[in-house]
Amino acid sequence: MCRQGGNLSVYKHEYRAYEGRVTPLWARIAVLVRYGLTEAWSSRITVGLLTLSMLPVVVFLIIIYLANNPIARALIMRGNSQILAINASFFLRVQVSQCWLALVLTAWIAPRLVSFDLSDNALPILLSHPISRFGYVGGKVIALFTFLSLVTWIPCLLLFAYQGYTSPQPWMGANLQIAGGLLVGSIVWIALLSLLGLALSSWVKWRMVATGIIFAAVFVPAGVGGVASAILRTRWGFLLNLPVMMTQLWQRLLGASEFNRIGLDLPSGAIVAMLVLIGVVCAAMLNARIRAREVVRG
Amino acid sequence: MSVIELDGLEVRLGGRTVLNGLTGQLRGNAIGLLGPNGAGKSTLINTLLGFHMPTHGAARVFGLDTRRDRARIRQGIGYMPENDSFIGNMSGVRFVRYIAELAGLPAGDALERAHEALFYVGLGEVRYRNISTYSLGMKQLIKLAQALAHGPRLLILDEPTNGLDPMARQRMIQTIQEIRTAGSIRLLISSHLLRDIDETCDEVLILKQGRIAALRNLEEERRSHRNFIELETLGVIDEFCERLRQLGCECASFPGGRVKIVMPDSIEPRDLYVLAAEQAVQIRRIHRRRDSLEDIFLQAMEHVPARGELVRL
Repeated sequence: MCRQGGNLSVYKHEYRAYEGRVTPLWARIAVLVRYGLTEAWSSRITVGLLTLSMLPVVVFLIIIYLANNPIARALIMRGNSQILAINASFFLRVQVSQCWLALVLTAWIAPRLVSFDLSDNALPILLSHPISRFGYVGGKVIALFTFLSLVTWIPCLLLFAYQGYTSPQPWMGANLQIAGGLLVGSIVWIALLSLLGLALSSWVKWRMVATGIIFAAVFVPAGVGGVASAILRTRWGFLLNLPVMMTQLWQRLLGASEFNRIGLDLPSGAIVAMLVLIGVVCAAMLNARIRAREVVRG
Repeated sequence: MSVIELDGLEVRLGGRTVLNGLTGQLRGNAIGLLGPNGAGKSTLINTLLGFHMPTHGAARVFGLDTRRDRARIRQGIGYMPENDSFIGNMSGVRFVRYIAELAGLPAGDALERAHEALFYVGLGEVRYRNISTYSLGMKQLIKLAQALAHGPRLLILDEPTNGLDPMARQRMIQTIQEIRTAGSIRLLISSHLLRDIDETCDEVLILKQGRIAALRNLEEERRSHRNFIELETLGVIDEFCERLRQLGCECASFPGGRVKIVMPDSIEPRDLYVLAAEQAVQIRRIHRRRDSLEDIFLQAMEHVPARGELVRL
């Protein structure tokens, strides 16, 4: 056994202080990230969902292969160049599918990251060590963000790189906006999901309920916003509709064609402001909940 | 150096002054924190840990200010909260290792010390079981193990015997006494049980309504009480008292044969019997005062010093 630091002695039943090396403060956040990722991976459902999230990527990969294969093009397209076109609209479909699968993963993983700590009142112990509330939330956000990256911007950019590699023309240089759009759009989305997922999970004791509430937080306001827009004949109700807002944002970032529905266009500034507002509300929810206070059970 | 230094510490929570101008220096190896419910014990602990900011004044732990040096203070503290506090779906060893890593131990050292801490507190055999399956006593012990694993300089125990049966309580008290005896770690023990504090601490801070009601060195109190004896006698006691004075005792006699004596350390109670036999005095009853802490506590509850008053050690 290593004896570099002062150790407790099991057999002599004595206590001795630890005098070994101590890790730097920033490394404590990495500990939270590591344990968070381990907790996420410990569920078979997580592995199943992750596998499911990779299936569309395989399908898109095959499409890119076929689109760049002369024989396949001749057989499938038969003179119609719009079929199997690999462009901004194609990558928009890739991004939309992956980002919504990321929502499913968030709804499953986020409650696992915080609800165990909160339901057993572990925060007084966790935060009595040299880690701040900000560091605690940061560690959990990074863990979730890392996990969601596996199904969003990483496969999206790999598909982009594969298209650039297989395309006979110099395609990649001419379409760098798509790569930037995939990266920025995915990061905005998974950062928002991470905050939203953790904030909602921190307020709900039961994990399955938290999963439901995360879905509800996305889709219920969307329905309400749609009803409000229809009744009041205004487009501003769609600011409550996260799917519509995000799709428009991704379209603009990728340079894909706009929505054609009349009156649905939202200004980019309004979309960004709404996303910032959601982020601030989530941060306030976390600030109110992630505290090292004793919870007396009655 | 003082373990804890309070300098006009005031903490307000929700518009209410919970700690009101605490001033004093705590130097003991094991410091007891006593007081009725709502006296401010937990708030003081939370302030020392940096969970609450002082509204006025300051608190220092090993000379480090709780406002400015929060991370450094926490680095040297092990904290065992009053209520359940763990991660139920983790095994005992994984939980203690996790906490030790958060306290700054490298992963390998953290694992090693987690095993050792669990054996030390008596949870070695159940360390691979999920904490949610532990009994109440085991849950108390796992909190103690996580507080010890990273080798703190100050161990803060908030109601460590809460909810324990007599056997488990005795074991917890014994473990705390062993930690105190080892000497490399200072203890701050909050409790509303006088007996727990009496058995484990050498200094006591008594709070009442957010103020210091008493701050005493228990070792000195015990020493003085150990030498204080009351006798009930039969026979002529004047000569007996005179002989006691000649031996160096302070002695006062009362009607009915009652005698109160403060003995020097060199005199043993057996000497009293020998002297009484020589003077043909029967000792019918001998009473030694033991509950020094109870006396201090009751006195403290009757009198509350003014705000900021420096209470004698």
